Amino acid sequence: MIEARGISKRYGEHVAVDDVSFEVTRGEVVGFLGPNGAGKTTTMRILTGFLPPTDGTALIDGHDMLTDPLQARRSVGYLPEMPPLYPEMDVEGYLRFVAAIKGLPRGARKQAVERTLARCGLLDVRRRVIGSLSKGYRQRVGLGQAIIHEPPVLILDEPTVGLDPVQIREIRALIASLAAPGPDGIQHTVILSTHILSEVEAICQRVILIHRGRKRLDAPLAQIVQGGQGLEAVFARETARDEATAPEAASA
Amino acid sequence: MRHVPTIASRELRSLFVSPVAYAVLTLFVLLAGFFFLSSLLQFEEYILRMQQFQYFDQMKELNLNDHVIAPFIGVMSVVLLFMIPGITMGLFASEKANHTDELLLTSPLTIWDIVLGKYLAAAAFVTLLVALLALYPGILLLYGDPEIEKTLAGLLGLWLVGLAYAGIGAFASSLTRNQIIAFAFSFVLLLVLWMLSFLADLGAAGGAIGSATGIADVLRWLSTAEHFERFVKGLVDTADLAYFGVLVASALVLTKFAVESVRWR
Repeated sequence: MIEARGISKRYGEHVAVDDVSFEVTRGEVVGFLGPNGAGKTTTMRILTGFLPPTDGTALIDGHDMLTDPLQARRSVGYLPEMPPLYPEMDVEGYLRFVAAIKGLPRGARKQAVERTLARCGLLDVRRRVIGSLSKGYRQRVGLGQAIIHEPPVLILDEPTVGLDPVQIREIRALIASLAAPGPDGIQHTVILSTHILSEVEAICQRVILIHRGRKRLDAPLAQIVQGGQGLEAVFARETARDEATAPEAASA
Repeated sequence: MRHVPTIASRELRSLFVSPVAYAVLTLFVLLAGFFFLSSLLQFEEYILRMQQFQYFDQMKELNLNDHVIAPFIGVMSVVLLFMIPGITMGLFASEKANHTDELLLTSPLTIWDIVLGKYLAAAAFVTLLVALLALYPGILLLYGDPEIEKTLAGLLGLWLVGLAYAGIGAFASSLTRNQIIAFAFSFVLLLVLWMLSFLADLGAAGGAIGSATGIADVLRWLSTAEHFERFVKGLVDTADLAYFGVLVASALVLTKFAVESVRWR
């Protein structure tokens, strides 16, 4: 479903992502971990086609993001770190707009909007102006814009950041339900980045850990925690490994 | 290009829920009323003076087109210089501020969908402004008989100036995430473009870089004022139409590159 082949991103001297490769198969929920500045957001932006990689390619559902960008982008739903919302629009109008630009045919849009409103718990606020919504609701609208066109691939950048515990639980349940084969027969493949390790333990089957732009770990969650060590210990070990050898990069 | 109308209609709806659109409309109509009235009163006073001094030959030369409508349209083109950057400043800058550029650029849209959609929205607003403005000379039709063709040529000129300004304003907006900077930058660009013919005249008068080198001619050709004034005089020339076409097209191509640049930075 998702294939990263030797992705690198350099900004002049600074290497944000360094030769990262991985593959995610249908229905998998992958937790994308790493300390701040590790290159998580950059990698996700490359996978969604927002940024081109300096080297390497990203394939979404078999479509190359560089050579077949429109088809590849149609197959991705993306929730950036800051939900991309127009504060002056109402929830329903916003979702209708997103349905249109994601390429849904005119006849299918109304139904897609209704389904998304219901799925994200937005029915009560459908006529509210987005700018007046609480952070939790805004996050749900952001998630709504990512799933409205039923993309096979979902890329979520810190989907639960800044939410209260109840909201976090709701969003997690929603993400888990997206990966399960639904009544509509669409099973999403999900990559989500987060700092909350318990979140990974709750909903992900697999963990990819990157640190300083390099992939450090890529294993099923069960295998990682099997030896009795917690995810936190693994995270600490992997990110501390070469702290002494390259301290100057820590500022990046 | 399929999504141009989608982008344009969203942009227009957002424009009309923001106070900016209404502020611009209100100010524009008020200023238009003020300048229309003042050129009308000036005209009246002029006639009275001519009657006092019994300059009957010169009075025959007086007409509504040259003494009311032309100065009115002329001064409104300067007002557009301030108004249009207010409309275009948010076109791209606000997308970056809202992080919605990430939505647009990761959706199956082409850059042209985005640029043309946004430009179309701004162009629709310009059309509305010029249509409102046309009401003022329209009033004269009830009480006098101005030349309709000449009036329409002037309005066409004003519309083209507005469309060109919208293109340049869109470009300025695509360069920054700050709407104030976008406003200031497009205002400066438009002012320079407008003033180029004055620069040419200065050069010609001083004789230094004068017309001999041809620089003055080039500056004059580049200046919007130069082309606009020919419309106001009632001359609709394909060369002037082409000038505005080229101006809009170049502004949009530059905008397209600026929007795309996020991809190769």
